[in-house]
Amino acid sequence: MLTINKKGEEGYLIISLEGEVDASNSVELDEVIQEVLDEDIKNILVNAHELQYISSAGLGVFMSYLEDFNEKNIQFIIYGLNEKVMNVFHILGLDQLMNIKDTREEAEKSLHEA
Amino acid sequence: MLKFPQIPRGKIYVMLAVLSWLALLLVNLIRVFGEINQMEGLIGKEITWILEILFFIWLYIFFNDAIKKNQNRNFIFFIWRAASTALMATGTSFLIIFFYYLLGDSRLSEDPLLKNFFYHINFAVVSIFLISTTLSWKHLILYQKSKAIVQQWQAYEVILLISMFFVLISQASFNYGFMFGLIFLIIYGAILSINLKWIPYLTFREKWKSILFLVIIIACTVYLFFRLVSYTQQNIHFINLSENLFLLGLFVFVLLYAVFSSLVTLFNLPTSSVFEQKLTEAISFQKLSQSIKPGENEEQVLDILMDSCMSAAYVDAAWLELYPSEPEQSSKIQLQKFISNGERQEVMTLLKRAAPFAAYFNGQTTDRTEYLYGQIPHEIYKSVLVLPVSANKKKLGDIFLLKEVKDGFNKEMINIISTFAGQTSISIENHRLLNEAIRNERYREELEIAQRVQRSLLPSELHHNGCFEIDGFSAAADEVGGDYYETYRFDKNNFALIIGDVSGKGTSAAFNMSQMKGVFHSLVQLNLPPKDFLSKANNALSRCLEKNNFITTTYYTISTLTKEINFARAGHCPTLYYSKEKGISRFLNIKGMGLGIVRNDGYENYLEEGYLKYQPGDVMVMYTDGIVEAKNKNNQEFGYDKLRMLLDGLKDFQALEIKRKIVEEVYDFVGRETLPDDDYSILVIKFKA
Repeated sequence: MLTINKKGEEGYLIISLEGEVDASNSVELDEVIQEVLDEDIKNILVNAHELQYISSAGLGVFMSYLEDFNEKNIQFIIYGLNEKVMNVFHILGLDQLMNIKDTREEAEKSLHEA
Repeated sequence: MLKFPQIPRGKIYVMLAVLSWLALLLVNLIRVFGEINQMEGLIGKEITWILEILFFIWLYIFFNDAIKKNQNRNFIFFIWRAASTALMATGTSFLIIFFYYLLGDSRLSEDPLLKNFFYHINFAVVSIFLISTTLSWKHLILYQKSKAIVQQWQAYEVILLISMFFVLISQASFNYGFMFGLIFLIIYGAILSINLKWIPYLTFREKWKSILFLVIIIACTVYLFFRLVSYTQQNIHFINLSENLFLLGLFVFVLLYAVFSSLVTLFNLPTSSVFEQKLTEAISFQKLSQSIKPGENEEQVLDILMDSCMSAAYVDAAWLELYPSEPEQSSKIQLQKFISNGERQEVMTLLKRAAPFAAYFNGQTTDRTEYLYGQIPHEIYKSVLVLPVSANKKKLGDIFLLKEVKDGFNKEMINIISTFAGQTSISIENHRLLNEAIRNERYREELEIAQRVQRSLLPSELHHNGCFEIDGFSAAADEVGGDYYETYRFDKNNFALIIGDVSGKGTSAAFNMSQMKGVFHSLVQLNLPPKDFLSKANNALSRCLEKNNFITTTYYTISTLTKEINFARAGHCPTLYYSKEKGISRFLNIKGMGLGIVRNDGYENYLEEGYLKYQPGDVMVMYTDGIVEAKNKNNQEFGYDKLRMLLDGLKDFQALEIKRKIVEEVYDFVGRETLPDDDYSILVIKFKA
């Protein structure tokens, strides 16, 4: 089960992920990110506090947009990953490519610094 | 050996019959000649009787054969056969009379020999007629036969046979014995004659025809009977051939059956249309219930349904409206019969206003309507029956049946039409299910091929030498999987090893895995350091993989000479390593990045190369994320710690045992009844020297 919520804040947009991302629902995540890209939003935060699990297909979704984020100069920050999910990002090496923070405050701070 | 020419049996019987008739004629002529010239006792009467009996028997056998050959003809054929024989016999008889008329009062007309000759001809044609007709009747009587009727008929044949020989026992005609035999034959013939099951199967026209033929048969039989009797009375010189129990019995039987049949057919005439109707309904039903054959489509079944409904209720006009399969299309009018477009629209407008149709067409009824029946104030069509046709719980369309009379549909008609509609639904459903099954079967076969191909991608044998043991296991969650491992031997002391996992699962993962195998075999021959190997593999795969696909692997080179292991990790699960020296297991956590994630030259920067020296007794466990992410019923993962502690306990076993026990432990954890939702792969190496 995966629930995705979008919420516009001042200066950025928060995508909240709740549940598990696997091969069957990774398409939903892909659609949401694509939508946000189409809306030409420059600052995107992903709240992963309630993300219990992410499969390789889910990681593939994030990975496939990394180039777009770089090209369009978009700030894409994930925060609140639990230890297990963080480990998955780490093993794959995605933590070297993505901006991952512990809390929302740190993520916001990172936005302002950029 | 003398070879006989092949003569058909029928011809032999005819020949034998003709011969016995000629012999009979000759014998009797000689006798008459003798009588005229007062030479008595020339030839015994018994010879005449026996020749007569032989003649009957050959005829009987011949016609029995002939009828058998025509068994599948319709009933009219048999009645016509009897009638035509009757006409032939009567015609012959008339010709003889005509011949005598031409002779006038000449001396020849009084010649007893000539008379005798014609008597024999007359006798022969009557016999032919009676025997062939009896056998035609046999066929009709035995239609839809039961065992009892067959036995009755066989008994009758035996009785007929006995009656032939009766003449030999008692030569005096019309004594008590003869009368008794005749009455018995009459009664038995009458009993047999009530078997008239074929009559209802005649159509109206056929019934008229058969009545006509039967009347001809009756008239001819009566005529021929009196003709034969008159011959006998006229002439005293003859040996009476016709005062034979067999012949008289047949006369009675042929006549009785013809009379019975014609009467029953006559009384059946008024109800014949009902029976015909029921028969067409049964045939329609059978047509509808046959599943649609390959090459036919649903429309053909709907066409049969329309025709069946129309004939079942004597409908004057009808059409079929098919609902669109896509919402944006409009309904399609199909199979419009005996009604113009204008009239159809008029009726439709009326229907939308009249009860009970209005509610249905305006979409107000939600319950499943079986049919709608009512009257409309149209100038031509007064009563209407609307019948929804559905398949797989989805409505296909409506059938509209119109009649010019008021209250044109009775309960029986509606019942049968509803049944037709129901049967059609089943046919269409079956057709669709069958198509689906065929399609699925094809997919399944394709998958089986993929499975076979993929199984061949995993190595059946792992390269090693005496310095280490190696054992692997792999299981796919779906038919095909995305896990991969392989070994390569550079020389007797140097080996390469790879384990990998393709993102996603199923068929797409399997395709990418086969690409990985190709890349491995191309690059491994260059004998590159692990970091360079992965960097080149990333280059190659970046060009092949889809945007959101990646592959994680770890590549190892092992030298048993220097006891060194070099490895680099491309985002794959960290290797679990038990060091005998330290006495504990740990994960070899080095920096890494999955293949296909960074698709440019900078990839190398994200990699690190690991190096270690092994000692005998060390154990290396390589695995895919399916193992550590395996979940039990409570949604808990197997996890890294459990795997590590498991190895601590198994370190002293051989590679094969360690592998087996880990796999067992994982399956026990997941629960054997639940299906794995990811691919599991594991490789275990135990160093010995």
